[in-house]
Amino acid sequence: MKRISALILLNLAVSLLLSGCWSRRELNDLAIAVAAGVDKVGDRYRLSVQVAIPGQVASKKAGSSQAPATLYTAEGDTLFEAARRMTQISPRKIYFPHLRVFLIGESMARQGIAEILDFLLRDHEFRTDFFLVVTRGVTAEETLKIMTPLETIPANKLFNSLQTAAKAWSPSKAVTLDELINDLIKEGKHPVLTGLEISGDRNIGQTKENILNIYTPSQLQYSGLAVFKLDKLIGWLDEKDSRGYRFLIGEVKSSVGFERCKNQGKVVLEILKTNTKTKGKIVDSRPEMDIKVYVEANVASVECRGLDLTKPETITELETRMEEKVTGLLESVIAKVQKEYKVDIFGFGEVLRRSHPRVWAKMKEDWNEYYFPNLKTHIQVDYTIRRNGTTGNSFLNELKE
Amino acid sequence: MPEVKISLRQLSILTALYTIGSAILIIPSSVANIAKQDAWIAALAGLGFGLLILALHHQLSRMYPGTNLLQMSEKLLGKWVGKTVNLLFLVTLFLGGPVTVLYDIGSFMIIQILPETPIQAILLLFGAIIVLGIRLGIEVLARSAELLFPWFLLLFLSMTVLLLSIVKWERAMPILEHGTGPIFPAVLSFLSIAYLPHIVLLMFYPSSVARPQDAPKAVYIGSLLGGGVLIIVIALTILVLGPDLAAKSAYPSYMLAQKINIGNFLQRIEAIMAVMWFITLFFRITLYMYAIVTGISQLFNIKNYQPLVLPIGWIMVSLAVFIYPNIPFKHDWDKRIWTPYIIIISIGLPLLLLGVHGVRNMFSKSPGKTS
Repeated sequence: MKRISALILLNLAVSLLLSGCWSRRELNDLAIAVAAGVDKVGDRYRLSVQVAIPGQVASKKAGSSQAPATLYTAEGDTLFEAARRMTQISPRKIYFPHLRVFLIGESMARQGIAEILDFLLRDHEFRTDFFLVVTRGVTAEETLKIMTPLETIPANKLFNSLQTAAKAWSPSKAVTLDELINDLIKEGKHPVLTGLEISGDRNIGQTKENILNIYTPSQLQYSGLAVFKLDKLIGWLDEKDSRGYRFLIGEVKSSVGFERCKNQGKVVLEILKTNTKTKGKIVDSRPEMDIKVYVEANVASVECRGLDLTKPETITELETRMEEKVTGLLESVIAKVQKEYKVDIFGFGEVLRRSHPRVWAKMKEDWNEYYFPNLKTHIQVDYTIRRNGTTGNSFLNELKE
Repeated sequence: MPEVKISLRQLSILTALYTIGSAILIIPSSVANIAKQDAWIAALAGLGFGLLILALHHQLSRMYPGTNLLQMSEKLLGKWVGKTVNLLFLVTLFLGGPVTVLYDIGSFMIIQILPETPIQAILLLFGAIIVLGIRLGIEVLARSAELLFPWFLLLFLSMTVLLLSIVKWERAMPILEHGTGPIFPAVLSFLSIAYLPHIVLLMFYPSSVARPQDAPKAVYIGSLLGGGVLIIVIALTILVLGPDLAAKSAYPSYMLAQKINIGNFLQRIEAIMAVMWFITLFFRITLYMYAIVTGISQLFNIKNYQPLVLPIGWIMVSLAVFIYPNIPFKHDWDKRIWTPYIIIISIGLPLLLLGVHGVRNMFSKSPGKTS
């Protein structure tokens, strides 16, 4: 008797312990969302979710008839409601932890994005490691319909290309949710997000035709930075200004720059390393910023004649001219933002808060309206050219007509 | 009660795990909420004050080596007053200690990992191993602590190392932006979770330790170790997440683990990191419960505490479901009620006992000897 009851007890215990988790969701029950986009239609949110189709991604065979991902779109008074309404069209519940990019439609960004960010932060399914991007001139929904070559899932293309562009070509900025929220909460810094455009013919882009040939008629392309005043988009920085911006906040890892030669042509320099130090100081009870930028570069190509790279003076002269050029770049973006947008996206206020907390406490109320637009900046660029590639003097010098 | 002894090493490890306990989950946000980027300063100061509190406890334990807290208060305050104080102590500690920590682990699981699982299922399973552990006694617990502690250290150190690459020092700037004003309440909040509950440890040390005279040293070592871990966790949340996000997040340490990403390859390991606080929370609840169960058996002169474990464990699990109606209530409770309460029992009670001891000594030549 005792034996039997012990066995029953053991069985009960085992079935309790081995049945696994309640909230388990098997892989074949998941609709893995890789990209999501939100637009505003009137007062309602329109959520579009790009879901990867695992079978299509895994198969190596070319010419499979189905697209690698599918798009579900639903509207709702709130974002969460829209996400749940999606079950009406999706056979599986959408699973968000593998989200790579979150797109925000431009028109929605102009009205404010803070409300949707709270949902993204609060819901446990969203991690904080996806990139937030503003779609420029188009809705987020339309952007998610474009087919992409090389990376079959468009979301992966968006993620990887933003990551690479931010690293190797400076104007794009990869912003994750926690960074964005930190920028929003911080006094003295306003956020920016990278813009995303559809180039070429959108109608072809949405069809498989887009990736049938070597030439892709329609591409997803990052372009410029969106300037936010708190959570509302107020304008754009073009490519040049975006680079200046990223120089100023010290995020440029690698990039390319050029300088005109005395004759015709250009010298191209590859930036290898940059380092920016911003210090705030108070002069005559007004804030001023000392910005020191250190750039290390290599000569990447010489496209003009008569440049003697064997002489150290040439390098020194080139360095001085590059210093002037970078200084000009930085000054122009600061001036533009100070004049046109009047919001401190560079975090100068934050810098001042760190070094002069008491002064900052007095200035923060009028920072964007008064102090920031009139802020004096002293930019000092230290441009160092280290090496000149695998050749010395350019063979262009020896070309005789 | 069977005579049980644990070694000094085991005492140190138990103390360290007890100190880290639930603090590793909830302390970063509560301290960062008050002290912002200076939370690490508050934690350092908290460590200092914590050692003072421990010194007070040791002072008490040195008077009557071989007796535990409840026996002491019975001896000093007299049988009936002592027993009343002890009963109040045990009941309130039961409600404020193990039940709320169990609630913490339950709500952590359903908020972060298993949102659709009924909380009862999690509490029941967690409660079951706690009951099992206590039934087996302090020796078994101490040995399992010895076994699990290296795993905890391994996870903790790997988390720290993996996060170093995304540390940004300027997040801790400016130091003392709002002056030293907010530091004190932050220290209090730190102490109320990390060090003030150490009074509970007096229930089994020095009486259950092999070399009672060295027990205080072992407790100091364990507390320093635990405090060091907490300071590092708080500093990391500030340096990686920033003070604002650290204060807003419900479980900043879990968010920290989510941030780990080495080359897009070593990532999404937060569930493994969560094992860290399963270990520490287990020992936190178990030591609370052990103290309470042995205390109740003493109170009613029951020789063996083991029959009490299961019923009290049941009560703990069922209470943990509804001890707090909602999360804001819990935060409010921690701030307004738990902190004064734990100050009373952890500083007030020892001071009272020391005072009575002093007064008694004045009247009688021979000080109280061990029973």
